[in-house]
Amino acid sequence: MSALTRGAELEVLELELLVEGVRRQYGFDLRNHSRPLLLRRLRRHLREERLDTFSSLQGKVLHDPEAMEGLLRALACPPEPLFADPAFFQAFRTRVVPMLRTYPSIRVWHAGCGSGEETYALAILLMEEGLWSRCRLYASDASEGLLADARTGVLPLPGEVDARNYQEAGGRRALTDYYTRDGNWAVLQPALREGIFFTQHNLATDGSFNEFQVVLCRDTLLAFNMALARRAHERLYESLTRFGFLCLGRKESVSRTPYATAYEEMQGTGRVFRRLS
Amino acid sequence: MSPLGLLVVGAPRNAAAEVEVLLSLLPARLNVPVALVLHRGPYDSLAGPLGRRCLLPVVEPDDKDELVAGHVYLAPAGYHLMVDRDSIALSREPSEHGQRPAINPLFESAADAYGPSAAGLLFSGHEDGWAGLSVLRERGGRAAVVGEGEAGEGGERVSLNEVKAWLARLSYGSRMKVQP
Repeated sequence: MSALTRGAELEVLELELLVEGVRRQYGFDLRNHSRPLLLRRLRRHLREERLDTFSSLQGKVLHDPEAMEGLLRALACPPEPLFADPAFFQAFRTRVVPMLRTYPSIRVWHAGCGSGEETYALAILLMEEGLWSRCRLYASDASEGLLADARTGVLPLPGEVDARNYQEAGGRRALTDYYTRDGNWAVLQPALREGIFFTQHNLATDGSFNEFQVVLCRDTLLAFNMALARRAHERLYESLTRFGFLCLGRKESVSRTPYATAYEEMQGTGRVFRRLS
Repeated sequence: MSPLGLLVVGAPRNAAAEVEVLLSLLPARLNVPVALVLHRGPYDSLAGPLGRRCLLPVVEPDDKDELVAGHVYLAPAGYHLMVDRDSIALSREPSEHGQRPAINPLFESAADAYGPSAAGLLFSGHEDGWAGLSVLRERGGRAAVVGEGEAGEGGERVSLNEVKAWLARLSYGSRMKVQP
């Protein structure tokens, strides 16, 4: 084997030591995260921190809780703009909302909300459809730091693309109606901010905490490997009422989980599944 | 020389026609999976038109789909396509070189998961892909470039006509006695 391949083996060893250190020192378990994604995010973090090896990152993280917070942020899903996937919101509006109208009250869980962009987009949609007063919207993430960002209700100022996405998502007003501009930032309407309960929850380790009619978990499980994604699907399943709606990312499916037959995919919605049993 | 375990292909948007030709050249009994990134816009359903002359099934996979030999996995719109050992890993990370899907993430993940048994084929004409190809070579994988490129970079040059022979050599590489 060449020297360079030995270098690769050394990197794998360093990665395992880093993951083990983080787990024992902070209780944050990365062992079952998607390996390609983890490597990619860690390498980017190394470049940004001007470090050479995972070992040097390990040293820093173990001795400095702030460096750990930085690492968690680097591992989090990077923020996307409001209505980043207009086709999903369009489908949700035309296919799911009419059925939600028949419910007297609706509990919605957004699992893995990150810094909250998609949560706020959903809130805007529910408001426009006249369901906001009947809804309780819970949004959770494993990272306290991201939740703190989300709670502020302050976003980078939406641009032309965002306005177009909002229209494509079936928006009924102007996106600017929902925020006030503060320099390069948009401060969202208080009615949106105050109606959302942001709460810390780790899909990898924490149990189900309520029963919901709608669960949104879009592109969050990309970060997990198959074993952990299966376990997270258990939580999602337990958290849905019968005939509740599970909204996954455009390229996620339940087909390789134990719940393949427990859901029915709703035609023409991208990836909205309805719990049948 | 280790046996081939995975072929990764990266191409910029303006090489779409050549990629279609490449797909038509892949043998029907190819015994490894192929993962393909073609720079693309935000719309789905490129696999159909791109694969119409291909003897193998061309699919836009879901996250965590199993990698099956003889299947071509095309990176879906809006996601980086990566590979883990034997499965697909998609990511919604920001675009790289202005592209999502980008080529570098695929090539780097192939180098990590498959090392010397990965082979990479890059269609030149874009800055995306070169870094990944060089990681793949560092990890012992085999690399070739179709089209123009800077001298000494990226590995072997092949023309589209030679790709079939290059592939055949890779597939039977383990039986070869002499390496150039």
